[in-house]
Amino acid sequence: MNKIKRFFANAGKKIFTTPRAKVWWLIVLILAFTVLAGFLDYPKYYDQGVNWLKKTTGISLPEFYKLPFRLGLDLQGGTHLIYEADTSAIPDKDRDDALEGVRDVIERRVNAFGVAEPVVQTTSAGGSQRVIVELAGVKDVSQAIKMIGETPLLEFKEQAAAVATELTAEQQKEMDDYNAAAKKKANEALKKARAKGADFAALAKEYSDDEATKNIGGDLGFITKNGIYSDLYDDAEKLKINGVSGLIETDDNISIIKLAATQDSKEVKANHLLICWSGAQSCTGTITKEEAKKKIDELKAQATKENFIDLVKANSTEPGAATSGGDLGWFGKDMMVKPFEDATFAMKVGEISEVIETQFGYHLIYKTDERTVEEYRVSIILIDKKTKEEILPPAEEWAYTGLTGKQLAKAQVQFDPNTNTPEVGLEFNDEGKKLFGEITTRNVGKPVAIFLDGEAISIPRVNEPIKEGTAVISGNFSIPEAKILAQRLNAGALPVPINLISQETIGAALGQESVTKSLMAGLIGFLAVIVFMILYYRLPGFLSALALVFYAVLVLALFKLIPVTLTLAGIAGFVLSVGMAVDANVLIFERMKEELRWGKPLGSAIDEAFKRAWPSIRDGNLTTLISCLVLFWFSTSMIKGFALTLSVGVILSMFSALFITRSFLRLIAPWFHNKSTWLFGVKNKK
Amino acid sequence: MVNIIGHRKLWLIIAGALVVASIVAVSLWGLKFGIDFTGGSLLELSFENRPATADLASDLANFGAESVSIQPAGESGVLLRFKSVDETKHQEILKHLEEKFGKMEEKRFESIGPTIGKELRTKAIYSVVIVLICIILYIAWAFRKVSKPIASWKYGVIAVLALLHDVGIPIGLFAILGHFAGVEVNSAFVAAVLTIIGYSVNDTIIVFDRTRENLIRAGGDYENFDKIVNESVNQTFARSINTTLTTLLALVAVFFWGGESVKYFALALIVGIGLGAYSSIFIASPALVLWEELTVRKRR
Repeated sequence: MNKIKRFFANAGKKIFTTPRAKVWWLIVLILAFTVLAGFLDYPKYYDQGVNWLKKTTGISLPEFYKLPFRLGLDLQGGTHLIYEADTSAIPDKDRDDALEGVRDVIERRVNAFGVAEPVVQTTSAGGSQRVIVELAGVKDVSQAIKMIGETPLLEFKEQAAAVATELTAEQQKEMDDYNAAAKKKANEALKKARAKGADFAALAKEYSDDEATKNIGGDLGFITKNGIYSDLYDDAEKLKINGVSGLIETDDNISIIKLAATQDSKEVKANHLLICWSGAQSCTGTITKEEAKKKIDELKAQATKENFIDLVKANSTEPGAATSGGDLGWFGKDMMVKPFEDATFAMKVGEISEVIETQFGYHLIYKTDERTVEEYRVSIILIDKKTKEEILPPAEEWAYTGLTGKQLAKAQVQFDPNTNTPEVGLEFNDEGKKLFGEITTRNVGKPVAIFLDGEAISIPRVNEPIKEGTAVISGNFSIPEAKILAQRLNAGALPVPINLISQETIGAALGQESVTKSLMAGLIGFLAVIVFMILYYRLPGFLSALALVFYAVLVLALFKLIPVTLTLAGIAGFVLSVGMAVDANVLIFERMKEELRWGKPLGSAIDEAFKRAWPSIRDGNLTTLISCLVLFWFSTSMIKGFALTLSVGVILSMFSALFITRSFLRLIAPWFHNKSTWLFGVKNKK
Repeated sequence: MVNIIGHRKLWLIIAGALVVASIVAVSLWGLKFGIDFTGGSLLELSFENRPATADLASDLANFGAESVSIQPAGESGVLLRFKSVDETKHQEILKHLEEKFGKMEEKRFESIGPTIGKELRTKAIYSVVIVLICIILYIAWAFRKVSKPIASWKYGVIAVLALLHDVGIPIGLFAILGHFAGVEVNSAFVAAVLTIIGYSVNDTIIVFDRTRENLIRAGGDYENFDKIVNESVNQTFARSINTTLTTLLALVAVFFWGGESVKYFALALIVGIGLGAYSSIFIASPALVLWEELTVRKRR
């Protein structure tokens, strides 16, 4: 009994502890690992095996764990978008928060688009905040971009504290200096313009700051007393033909004018009565065109010089006509719409016109007066001055409150109970409820503005604090408009504006093509390396080729487990790592050959070779890893993929060389102990 | 044993000539930077009936796409490069081309705003500088043990020179390719350069390591310095060639079968890594001997 016990104990010890047994166990371990990794890479055969087992023996095993390769956009097609969030309008401390809000909203939008595993990330680079959106396998990129771009920007703002209204000493000096220079320039121009034989047109080209006229000799055309250049009219009136004025200075600019010609023109004075129909320009009435025509015809039949003003006050649909009596005052040519102007100028004073139709509606015109005025054709040299308003920053009327589309829970169409007009009701989430309560509390009696896509859409006055977390946008909507707005808001509203600054889109066809090509390249590269190693290093070469197969299986499994997103460059990195992985083997085998040539027995030659080659292998891979690390930081997604696969490959290749190849060599060494060293690439010793 | 050191001047002259040619090419033509550095748009289309390049060019110019460059790609493809456009304009261009030139497929569209381009440019420069500094520090560390008859820092200087050779010639080559074939330097090229730096420096270090080992074994017999160096080069010759060869085999497969977009990336790596082997055998050790001779001559 004891003997048997001892035998088993010894055998047990032997199985685990003798050097030879250790080698065997290592090999078994490596094989087991590789088979597992192989199943992970390609579970089909395992699953077939399981099915077969079930069919033949009835034993049912679970199928192998399925983990897909993660393919980059360039391999499966899709789009990579970079949006820049414009956070300039909000305080620093709130920026990250706002950016997160943008991310959440875009994510919601993108999810609605039905893309598998969309990536929406935020980054800050060079002081700008960005959101990166990756949509893999999306068919209609343009539609996706449009959907993200349509995301409404909703902001609640309160009145800003007063901004500076006075210039600083520095700004005052800047303004004074600028204006002194302008004055000097104007004096110079004036002197030249008054000189004999001066070419005013050339001087305008040289001196004038008025871009619209400087290249046409400063010509403003004929100016009238009531036109846009009325401020120059009085000065022009004083000049003789071809006379040049002095400096005409205002707060905005300094001008010098020259009178080129004068002409007489007619001005008229009239009152009118307007009946508009629904659909005419600026019309708020509801009657049809036919009804309007009937009405105006009736009025025409009644109208006399005496009752015209009263008829206007009682009937005209022109806003304010009840008080103005339809008085248009004096006007010249080109100031009224054509049919109206033609009719008025053709009439005699004291007449009432026939019915005139314009885009505004039907008119009756009563011409009250007529006169002749002079018009002046004037050329100008205009020199710009700086004003206080130009230097001061534009007064920002509304300030950021932190309440945005981010805190919106729900939006819906509802109707104002009093006027029955459609409006959009908003419901905030808890955070928004609290914020809105605070904002309305501190702004009682003051307006709070609701901004949609950067425009104030509604500016209600706060009557009392609103704690229920609801608000209403009432902005003269039609029902369909209100519906669309509610839909857009429900799909997510942005806290800050965004801007698409970079786009990379790969068609699915190109992706598929790339997968096929890179698999081909990988396979060919792999085979080429294996053939070379076997031809050159013979038996050890064969072992290293075997190790390389194991290496590839393990690396691919790691790519799935980490997971590494495979891109074209990433696959190139993997293929490159295959080429580099055998480097370690080359170093070891070359050293081994040397040791064998020096006459060492095979076993110790192998051990010595590994010991001596290790520092070189370590150092060699270290420098490559340094490069990869920096590349990883150099973060285009394409380069990152390359750096990652290469690093994983390089690290695992060290393991492969030291562990797998070494175990194989140790395993076979005793079998070839006293045989020819030809198999190891060394000529037989003499 | 191959007498490599004996012909040291020849090897150095070849390398020097190539480096000078590269410098000339770069200063003459410059590098043609891709849109990831300059900002801009790239559109790859595949037509059923590919229109002539000139037709496309004049048509796009009329359509208001600025600074268009057109390159045929593959059998039915066309690569268009123009100023950065927004999504609306991009769709307009597609619609217009489809109407004008018949059925086509959009394979790829990239539009990179000028800010991103500038950022990548800065990053590229930083990353090259950082890798160089890391490698120089590494070399300084690897050769920290003082050895005779050559001071350890000289090994470092020569290793860095060899590295500049390995990187400089691919850059020159891409200046030439850029000028004659429109090949662009993009972020992938920068990745290739960094990989070359990381990979090639090793070979040089391994040869030097062997030289030092043999010098120690020779025990102060520095009279035959050139012989010892030549022996070291020969001992490491096979491994230098073979490690490079296996890597090149893999890269050549990528170059020929890996597809258009990684073709020139693979080319840069092939040239750089190939040169890395040349420089470790034919530049580093010969330069070491030359330097030693010059110092000895000076002393005498």
